[in-house]
Amino acid sequence: MKNRLFTLLICLMGVLCTHAEDFTHLTFVTVDGEKVSMSIENLEISISGNTLTAGNQSFTLVNLSKMYFSSSDETTLLNELKSTDFDGAAHIFDLNGRKVNHDQMTSGVYVIKTKQGTYKLMVR
Amino acid sequence: MKKIITLLAAVMLCIGAMAQTLNVATGNVTYKFPATQTGEMTYADGSTLTIMGKVFAIDEISGITIDNSAVADGTISVAYDGASAQVIVAGNIAKYVTPAVEGAHVSIAQSEDLAKEITYTLSGSSADGEFYTSGAYKATIELNGLNLTNATPVYSGAAVHVQNSKRIKVKVITGTTNWLTDASSGSQKGCLYIKGHAEFAQYGTLNVVGNVKHAIKTGEYCTIKNATLNVTSAVGDGISCNQYFLIESGNVNIEGTDDDGIQCDLEGTTSTGETTDHEDEDTGNIYLQGGNITINCPGIAAKGIKAAGDIFISGGNIDITTTGKGMWDTEDLETKAACGISADGNITISGGTSKMKSTGSGGKGMKCDGVLTVTDGTLDIVTTGALYYNNGTSENTNYTGNTDNVSSDNYSSPKGIKVGLKTQSGNSYTYSGGIDISGGTITVATSGRNAEGIESKNYINISGGHITVNAYDDGINSAQDMTISGGYIYSRAMNNDGLDANGNCYIKGGVVFAIGASSPEVAIDANSEEQKKLYVSGGTIVAIGGLESGASLTQACYQASQWSKNTWYALYDGDQLALAFHTPASGGSRLVLSTSGTTTLKSGVSVTDGTEYFGGEGNIGGTVSGGSSVSLSTYNNTGGGGGGGFRP
Repeated sequence: MKNRLFTLLICLMGVLCTHAEDFTHLTFVTVDGEKVSMSIENLEISISGNTLTAGNQSFTLVNLSKMYFSSSDETTLLNELKSTDFDGAAHIFDLNGRKVNHDQMTSGVYVIKTKQGTYKLMVR
Repeated sequence: MKKIITLLAAVMLCIGAMAQTLNVATGNVTYKFPATQTGEMTYADGSTLTIMGKVFAIDEISGITIDNSAVADGTISVAYDGASAQVIVAGNIAKYVTPAVEGAHVSIAQSEDLAKEITYTLSGSSADGEFYTSGAYKATIELNGLNLTNATPVYSGAAVHVQNSKRIKVKVITGTTNWLTDASSGSQKGCLYIKGHAEFAQYGTLNVVGNVKHAIKTGEYCTIKNATLNVTSAVGDGISCNQYFLIESGNVNIEGTDDDGIQCDLEGTTSTGETTDHEDEDTGNIYLQGGNITINCPGIAAKGIKAAGDIFISGGNIDITTTGKGMWDTEDLETKAACGISADGNITISGGTSKMKSTGSGGKGMKCDGVLTVTDGTLDIVTTGALYYNNGTSENTNYTGNTDNVSSDNYSSPKGIKVGLKTQSGNSYTYSGGIDISGGTITVATSGRNAEGIESKNYINISGGHITVNAYDDGINSAQDMTISGGYIYSRAMNNDGLDANGNCYIKGGVVFAIGASSPEVAIDANSEEQKKLYVSGGTIVAIGGLESGASLTQACYQASQWSKNTWYALYDGDQLALAFHTPASGGSRLVLSTSGTTTLKSGVSVTDGTEYFGGEGNIGGTVSGGSSVSLSTYNNTGGGGGGGFRP
């Protein structure tokens, strides 16, 4: 009986250890190294044409490098933006490479090209 | 303590069930990748996604979801549902398999570099589906409540086809009943076909129909432990395998086969001989160690159990009925007949209970070309078929002519047990095989013309056991010497000799109750026509019909002037009851007796208690009452009947 209990405990520890890495996000990495983490809660991913849609986030497939499960939001921003950075903003692109207007920006990740530089912006 | 264990197990189950899984769907196939195993999943050129080495073409992916479902490594499940099937593949083996699904026809190919065992779990029902898998690494097939009929084959005509030469464990999941039916036409070798070696396990039930050839076919060995296998019909064999067949436990029920019930052949051309733990064995042997086997073979010249090698019966319960008539074999140019158990090699019986009944013309109970050895167990054999004749152009299933001048190739005599070979080369004969009985209980009854009870084409040695034979022809016949040194032997021939040795006959011990037909047949015969002789040097002997003339009687024999039918007699050795025996309704006129001491006889006795022998025709250790003494005279061994003559 002791042996059986011991074996069960060992198994339990093994299962717990295996399960210790509890993922909260699926993180997408673009070919330029930027990361976008999506909560895996009820996350559904579909592919249509050259676009992958994960939740409310869309990616152009050729711009995707990889994805992996992560335990935190690893979304990256290139630079901290100030309101003045938008002064004279030349171009705003979504991750599909489409040019969008300022008032078309919904939730998602955008690439902002300004005179000061190029930024990645996540709109929540 | 039990509560603690239960609690811990529940916790483990809960935690396990909370596993995070990435599901990639491609049509009816879903690959389940545990989040803990996926690592980096890479995209390439927008055209492929690679997860754990599995490369998906982007355009084949129909959806990706994440949930808390669990998947066990190394598993593939196929759930049939009418005209479709859903396949789930564990992520860790995804890169090694290529599934294809057309309706409910599923094919899964394993790659050559697979180095871990896959368990395929098949469930659900389809009236037009199949499962086909190929590979080169061992696998497990779980039949988990599967009802599968292959109506319009896509990959194979079989219902389940495993094109894999390795060990295939077939788990008939405990508590489930499974049905397999193959296509009604095609080239499939079996409804359940396994190219490699199959090991059936678990306590579930599998029902199989073989519409084209065999119901179950394995290219290599087949073993059964615990499972229940039912073959309800087959155009070929119920179970056909190569290398060897072994049943340890479980149940095998076979009926409606046009060919044999269970057949085992050599895979190669030369037998390896039995090996330790059957490792790499290729013998064509059949090992019946336990379980229950019931076979009902209606096929022409079909065998209940047939081995190209040896058959070993050490346990279990076997019940075989064959009903088919004989046939003309156009290749061997000779007649062939049905048989309960048949081996090209030896048969060794050391346990178990075996019942065989053959009712077809020429049908036999048990047959082997080698040596029959019985040390223990129970054999009960009945044949009722008539003499079969066929010369290749005309057939007679109830031949009543004299076979003395008919080629043995042209007829098959029904026999209880036939052992050994007698081959002719010019004017000389070669004898091989033989019978050694040292224990067990053997009961044989034959009623068809020419039907001997037990026949050896070579020698017979009986040193123990209980043998009871009631035969139409010779009760026990040997082509060469017959030696009885122990055991309890009852052998009654309705139309020939009780014991018939075509060589010398040695009776050295045991209890022998032999009954021959009327003269010229005798109770105990030797081949005096060829200068052979009956030697009596011991034992307790009752011979109704007398002894072959010219016998050498080292132990004195006595005769009664007459005997009464259907009467109990008591034979004494000194003042000890040697045997109480019941006389038959007919038999040869002479009654010859012998014991190791002073022999006396009483007639018309009553017998109570004691131990019954010979199907109730004998009693030892009983209490004898009543009766009257019978006057005995010394047996004149030169004045006996002319003997049964030389009847093979």
